[in-house]
Amino acid sequence: MNEVLFVILRRLRRPLIVLIIAYAISVWGLVLIPGMDKSGNVVHLGFFHALYIISYTATTIGFGEIPYEFTDPQRVWTVVCIYLCVVSWAYALGSIFHLSQDQTLRDAIARRRFALRVFALQEPFVLIVGYGQSGIMLARMLDRMGQRMVIVEMRAERAARIEIEEFEYSPLFLSADGRLPDVLVDAGVTHSKCVAMVALAGNDDSNQSVAIGGTVLNPSLRIIARVHTKIAQANLDSFRNIELVNPFQIFANNINLDMGSPEKLRVIEWLSGLPGGMRPDSLNLPKGHWLVCGTGSLSQYFVSALENAGVTCSVVNIDLIKQGDTHVLQSQGVVFQDMLSAGIEKAVGLVVCTESDSVNLATVTRARSINSKLYVVIRQVNVANASLIDASMANLRFIKAEVVSHKARQLLTSPLLIRFLKYLDQDSGEMAKQTGALLEKQVGDKVPFMWGFDCYASFAGLREALAPEVQPPFSIGDLLMNPENPPERINAVPLLLLRKELEFPLPPEDTPLLSGDRILFAGRRGEGEVQKRFLLEPSPLAFVRTGLEPPRSWLFRHLVRRRGTKV
Amino acid sequence: MNLEKVIFGFFIILACTLNFGFFIGEIDNIHLHDAGHLFAAVVVNLIALVMKFGDRTHIGATHLATSLVAMLQLLAASFVWMWHVNISQAAMTGDTMSTIVSLSAGALVANIISVILLISETLRQTR
Repeated sequence: MNEVLFVILRRLRRPLIVLIIAYAISVWGLVLIPGMDKSGNVVHLGFFHALYIISYTATTIGFGEIPYEFTDPQRVWTVVCIYLCVVSWAYALGSIFHLSQDQTLRDAIARRRFALRVFALQEPFVLIVGYGQSGIMLARMLDRMGQRMVIVEMRAERAARIEIEEFEYSPLFLSADGRLPDVLVDAGVTHSKCVAMVALAGNDDSNQSVAIGGTVLNPSLRIIARVHTKIAQANLDSFRNIELVNPFQIFANNINLDMGSPEKLRVIEWLSGLPGGMRPDSLNLPKGHWLVCGTGSLSQYFVSALENAGVTCSVVNIDLIKQGDTHVLQSQGVVFQDMLSAGIEKAVGLVVCTESDSVNLATVTRARSINSKLYVVIRQVNVANASLIDASMANLRFIKAEVVSHKARQLLTSPLLIRFLKYLDQDSGEMAKQTGALLEKQVGDKVPFMWGFDCYASFAGLREALAPEVQPPFSIGDLLMNPENPPERINAVPLLLLRKELEFPLPPEDTPLLSGDRILFAGRRGEGEVQKRFLLEPSPLAFVRTGLEPPRSWLFRHLVRRRGTKV
Repeated sequence: MNLEKVIFGFFIILACTLNFGFFIGEIDNIHLHDAGHLFAAVVVNLIALVMKFGDRTHIGATHLATSLVAMLQLLAASFVWMWHVNISQAAMTGDTMSTIVSLSAGALVANIISVILLISETLRQTR
C-alpha cells in the first residue's frame, strides 16, 4: 500500500487526537451550559449549533453568538474553548509543517512520484544506473538522438544536477541505490517499454550487483554493464543478456591493433566515431621498448596488449594512497629511480595511467626530462581536467568516460554495426582494406551515418519487387540507386546483410534480396531518408529498376495494358 | 503492562459500549435515545479511528476498515438527526429516530467486529 500515506497517518495520529478531544470537550460544554432566549426562557444549544460555533471560533473566524446572545457562563466557557482549540490547532499545524520538512517523508514522496511517472511512460526508454562522467556523456548523446531516459544515481548532489542540465527531453531521475531491487523495479526494469539498462555504477562490485539484479528481475531485458577487471568480466559473462563494456580492454586492444594491423583499427574507428565527424587517422605508435607507469588492471591490460603486439615493455608501479577524494603519490623518489632502471633512456613510448591527473602529468614531465622523444599515452581521469592534460602535449589520451559512452551508445543504437565490427575484428585484414576503399569512395573522409534497411514484403513499396520469380531479381544494388534521379547513386555502402540466422558481411551489390532481410548501410547524412522512399510506394523502385514510371490509377493501368497488347 | 495497549483497548471498547448505549431501547421511542450519547459515540469512534492509522499489518488494516465503517454509519446517523431537527425545523419523530437507531446499529456491528479483532489479537499474543 501507499508508503507516503502511512508515514503521514502515523505521524499525525497524536495531533489529530488532540484536536478531536479539544473539539469534543468544547462542544459538550456548550451543549451542557444553559443559555437564554430573548424572552428569558432557558434553552440549551443543540449539538449542531454547538459544533457550528466551535468550528468558527476554533479557527478564529468568529461569526458571533447564535442563535441568541450568550449568557455570561456561556461566554466564560467560550473563552476556555478559544484557548483550548487555538492551541490544539497550532500544535496540529506545527506538526503538519514539521512533517512536510521531514527528509524521510520527502524522500518517500519523491520516490513515489518517480515510480508513478516511470510507470506512466508511454515511449521506449533506456534506464541508466550511475550518473558519473560516463553516465553524463551517454545521457547527452542519447538525448540528442531523442531517446527517453530514466536515470538512477546514488549521490544526491549528482542526481540533482540532472534537473539543471539542459536536456531536450528531461529524463526522469531518482537519487537512490541501484543495487536495491525495489529501486530497480521503481525505475522501470520490469516496464514493458524499457529497451535496455546501462549499468555504470561507481565500482565493479556495485555495478555487478546492479547488472545481476536487473537481469534477475527481468531476464529478457538487454543489459549493458561497465567492467574494469577480468574477474568482474568473468562473473558477468555467464549471464546471457548482459553485454559488457570494458574500457580498459577496448583501449588496450586498440593499441594492440594499431601496432599489429593499423588499417583494421583505422576502419573500426572510422565506423564507430560520431557520425558526421572527421575520419580518425592512424595512431602510428612507434615500435620498440615501452614503459607503462601505473597501477591496477589498466596497466595490466596495457602490458598484455603491448606484449601481444610483440614489443618489449617494463612496468613502473606507482603507489597512490587515497586521501579523501583524491589520490596522492606515496613516495616521489622511487618513481624516478624506477623509471631509470626500467630503461626510460632507450624507450620509445610511455603509458601513464594512474588514478590521478596531477600524478599523471607529473610523471610525464619527469619522464620527458630524461627522454624528450617519447611517444606519450596519458590517461585523463577527470573529464573536467582537459586543459590540464592538454598541457602535457601527449600524443594520445585515454578518457574512460568517452570510451564507455561511445561503446554503450553503439550497443544501444546500432547493434548491427557491432556485429559487423566483430567480423572486421576477426578477419585477417582483407575485409578492412575492402571496407576502407568502399567508404573512401562513397562517403569520403567523414564518419558515416548508419541505418538499417528492413526489406519486408509488408512494406507497400517492396511488395511487388519481393514477389517470387520477378525478373531481374531484386538486389541490393537497386536500393543504392537514387529514387529521384536514377543513374545517380545513393552514397552508401552496404556493410552487413542479415538473413534470419545468417549474416553476410560486405554483401556484393548484386546479392538478390528476400523478404525478411535486414541490411546495414553506412553513408552520408540524409541518404538514409532518401532510401526510405522505396518503402512507401512501389513507383520509385519500379522507376529505378525499369526506368519507367508505372501508372498508378486503375484507368491508366488499363490504358497501358491495352496499348501494350496493341503494340 | 503496555500503556499503549491499555489506551488502544480502552478506546476501542469504549467506542463499542457507547454505541451500544445509544442503540439500546425501543427503536422508535425518541425518549430512549439521547443526542449526547450519540455525540459521545461519534467522538470516541473518531479517536479510535485515528489511533488505528498507520498500522501496516494485515490485522491493522482490518481494524482500520471496521472503524471506517462505524464512523460512516455514525456520521450518517448524526446527519439524519441534524437534517431533521435543524434544516427541516421539525420536532423529532419516531420514524426518523428509527432510521437513526438502525444506522447506529450498523455501526455497533462494526464496533463489535473491532472488539473481536482486538480480543483475537490479544489471545494470539499471549499464547
